Amino acid sequence: MGTNDHSAPLVVCDAGPLIHLDELGCLDLLADFSKVLVPETVWQEVQQHRPGALARPGVTLRRVAPLAPPPPALEALAQVLSLHTGEWEALRLALEHRPGLLLTDDTAARLAAGNLGIATHGTIGVLVRAIRRQQRTKVETLTVLRSLKVQSTLHLKQSLLDAVIVEVESFA
Amino acid sequence: MIKTIIHAELPTELTARAHSFVEEGWAADFNELLAEALRRFLESHSTRVTESLVMSDVQWGLHGNE
Repeated sequence: MGTNDHSAPLVVCDAGPLIHLDELGCLDLLADFSKVLVPETVWQEVQQHRPGALARPGVTLRRVAPLAPPPPALEALAQVLSLHTGEWEALRLALEHRPGLLLTDDTAARLAAGNLGIATHGTIGVLVRAIRRQQRTKVETLTVLRSLKVQSTLHLKQSLLDAVIVEVESFA
Repeated sequence: MIKTIIHAELPTELTARAHSFVEEGWAADFNELLAEALRRFLESHSTRVTESLVMSDVQWGLHGNE
């Protein structure tokens, strides 16, 4: 554990987790991954909506453009699922950096990733993982989860958030 | 089919692209395009799937081995 820990996976980050983790004061949790790659389009998107998230001390975000041409399967999925350019670039980058992890809060992007064999998780996963990785205590994480609807723009149904909190509370 | 009239604020550039799409003949009218876009979004962002993904995040967060 620690700043850009090499035992943890490389992650490709979509705009959602960058923005939501920053809103929650938890962007430092990304420092636990070996590398954090931010696709060029996602970088521009975050720069527009929450520029401060790109310059927090303690976490190194690498601005990267995908190099390899997109595989036909990704092109087809992008059409069917109406993926945004940022999500599309994030998927391309994740394919280039297997076996990395894609962090996105977009359901369609996660479905596409699943079809392409890319592991994905979202903001909630990173927040909860902080307990296992000893970046936050369970109490600290529960405080963040309880403030999520007020402190962040991550849209979750209240009953789902309640179920997440119950699950974390019951974790020994 | 019962229909509802809505008032929505949309980004100007996005609206212009949508109107061009209709003018080129790819959709019958703006209403049809908007309804189709909403339908596709709701289909690809199924709440059941989203809930399942979030709960899988929790399991990974608590018990995952990366």
